[in-house]
Amino acid sequence: MGLTLYHFLILGAVLFCIGLYGAIAKRNAIAVLMGIEIMLNAVNVTLVGFSFFNTVKPYATYLTGQIFAIFIITVAAAEAAVALAMVIAIYRKRNTVDVSEINMMKW
Amino acid sequence: MGLYEYSWIVLFAPLLSFVVIIFGTRVGDMLSRPRVAVATTHAEEHAVETHGTHGEDHGQHGEDDDDDPKVPQLTQWAVVSGYVGIAIMAIAAIYSWILLFYSAFVPSSMPANGLNDIFSYNWFNQGATGSYVIAFHIDHLAIAMLVVVTTISLLVNIYSQGYMENSAGYARFYAYLSLFAFSMLVIVFAQNFLVIFIGWELVGLSSYLLIGFWINKRAKPEEQRPSPATASMQAFVMNRIGDVGFIIGIMILFANTGTFDFQKLAVDVTHMDKTVLTIAMILIFCGAIGKSAQFPLHSWLPSAMEGPTPVSALIHAATMVAAGVYMVARVFPLYLVAFPAAFLVVAWVGGFTALFAATIALVQSDFKRVLAFSTISQLGYMFVGLGVGGAEYGPGPGMFHLFTHAFFKALLFLCAGSVLHGLHHATHREVQDMRQMGGLATRMPITAITFLIATCAISGVPLFAGFFSKDTIIGLTLERGNWGLYIITLFTAGLTAFYMLRAYILAFGGTDGKFGGLWGGTYRGEGEPHESPPTMTIPLIVLAIASVVAGYWFGFFDYLHPGAPALSFGSIFSDGLTYIGIVTAVVGLVVAYVMYARVDGAKLHAAVENNAVLRTAHRILYNRYYLDTLYDWIARYLVLGLAHIAQAFDAYVVDGIVNGVASFVMFLGRDVRRTETGRVQSYMIGFFGGVAVLAAVVFVLVTYVR
Repeated sequence: MGLTLYHFLILGAVLFCIGLYGAIAKRNAIAVLMGIEIMLNAVNVTLVGFSFFNTVKPYATYLTGQIFAIFIITVAAAEAAVALAMVIAIYRKRNTVDVSEINMMKW
Repeated sequence: MGLYEYSWIVLFAPLLSFVVIIFGTRVGDMLSRPRVAVATTHAEEHAVETHGTHGEDHGQHGEDDDDDPKVPQLTQWAVVSGYVGIAIMAIAAIYSWILLFYSAFVPSSMPANGLNDIFSYNWFNQGATGSYVIAFHIDHLAIAMLVVVTTISLLVNIYSQGYMENSAGYARFYAYLSLFAFSMLVIVFAQNFLVIFIGWELVGLSSYLLIGFWINKRAKPEEQRPSPATASMQAFVMNRIGDVGFIIGIMILFANTGTFDFQKLAVDVTHMDKTVLTIAMILIFCGAIGKSAQFPLHSWLPSAMEGPTPVSALIHAATMVAAGVYMVARVFPLYLVAFPAAFLVVAWVGGFTALFAATIALVQSDFKRVLAFSTISQLGYMFVGLGVGGAEYGPGPGMFHLFTHAFFKALLFLCAGSVLHGLHHATHREVQDMRQMGGLATRMPITAITFLIATCAISGVPLFAGFFSKDTIIGLTLERGNWGLYIITLFTAGLTAFYMLRAYILAFGGTDGKFGGLWGGTYRGEGEPHESPPTMTIPLIVLAIASVVAGYWFGFFDYLHPGAPALSFGSIFSDGLTYIGIVTAVVGLVVAYVMYARVDGAKLHAAVENNAVLRTAHRILYNRYYLDTLYDWIARYLVLGLAHIAQAFDAYVVDGIVNGVASFVMFLGRDVRRTETGRVQSYMIGFFGGVAVLAAVVFVLVTYVR
């Protein structure tokens, strides 16, 4: 039984759910960021899978998915840098990285 | 001819003096006046003068004195303002007289339709429908009116030097007088409806400013007199009512012909639907009803008596009320094209107003108010004259009465002003009630004799100006076979003679006077009145002469309307109708003489009070048929009632909707805002939960529904 699209999709879905759980349930801001990274990469896996198993053109000439994935990795890197910088700033200000206590935007 | 082409000088001269005074000399007057010093001297003077009758309520704003605030001495600048006004108006008046004589003696110098575009300015173009032009035009009708306006204005200007002496608002007064004259001249020179309407509104503005000139003066409910501020507003608002009809009429004409120009209209309206044209002309007449104070929009004119008396003279003789008559005369050719109903409306409104106002004037005790109602009545005559003139006479009869009336009515008012001025100096308060006059003839002889001349003129005593013009109108009504109007105008002529002689005797004569009570007698007021200064009496004398000779222009009808029959002594005195008119006037005069110069006032009073019919009639007439009360009621309950309903609609319905929506949102927001926890993760749950739900819905739809 070779590798099929479903393997990719299931892997992506599992990774996404793990990431989602981490992003929602963790109280440490760093852990939340890690969850988000996992979600992004879950999407990357799905994109690459779709790209590889497409039925329109040969794989070598149909790179949209891969390019998209690379873009996401790039953006994710930037996002991580910004988000970590914010976490550090919040930590300096409030001496905590617990997201349940970061609720200045409350009503 | 060059003479006519430069007649725009007459038009713009008063504007020039207005500008010079308001931006030049008046500013100088204000700046050079020692403010503080004036306030204190005035207060002291005031305290001395009032004899304690006014109490101690004059503080900083203690100018609730009847008169306008006085200054001890006019500044140089104020005096110059007066001279500027007089000098420039003199130029205009002289120029207009030259124009009059030139056009009368050299009729060929003027083209048949007058001279167009003596000054024109293209206001704006509007696509294909044409352009709106400010254009002025001169013809015989304009020149006849021009002479009246400039002459009366000049005399009023001179007269005001005496009447407004030491008035703090001296410069302002002259500025307004000039503006008033300019506004009226805009109407006189108007070449199209657009310009006449601009002048129309300018006249309204100027009269508003001048009637309300004494802004500090209060209402006098015990004399049924409003405050000048209220009176000026009333004049303005009542004119707006008439103007609604005027505007609609102009718009109907414009919609049907595409032009405002009078001469083009005269040609174009012949293609119009006659019914529409008739309606338009009646609507246009509504404007004249308002401006010339005809029933039912007459009540602003008696209220306008609250303005300074020279202004009343100007309004009643030359400017404001004459505008309505002049306008109808100006659009006379359009009326000729319309159904005769249009002219009938003009004539009947005029006739009814003449009678209506004359009956009110019979019993009024306020000196100026008698004159006010007499003006309304005489304006009624003018409209009768216009209404019955027809193609044969043209606007001649109506305009002739306007022409003669201008002189004797200005004279009457200026005499009244002279009396008021004299009484003010004698009593140190404002006296307008004739019951506090009497016997003034020996004390103010020039005023009395000129007033008597004007009385004769307005009563239609033969050989005075009013006789010729009024008799022509009365005769014409019968010539047109209109018996109703004939009887009304004839009867009114008798009433006119009665109330004018009554006013004269009450003010100047008395039962114990000379010449059987006509000259002098007991003075019922306080103090000792004296004759007014020459600046005031000279205009009186000039006007008295004019009140006699103005009627001898027998070619007037032909001058305005080529081919109209001329008056002549032969035609006047060979007609039996003339004698009926004379007899009516004489009967009126004799009745007034017997009632007021031979019978004691107290006895007369008792006779009226003891007779139920007379008493009721007197009360109804004295209260002006309760029309003022009715208008007051309408304004108070109908108009303000509607306003309250509208206000309630706004407050409860409109605001209710707006506030209801707002409070509903607020109500929702109060609970919903609890979801804004400020914690990113709870938002995330909402977001992904929503996505999950949507995904489930899509999945179900894609799988099962398709």
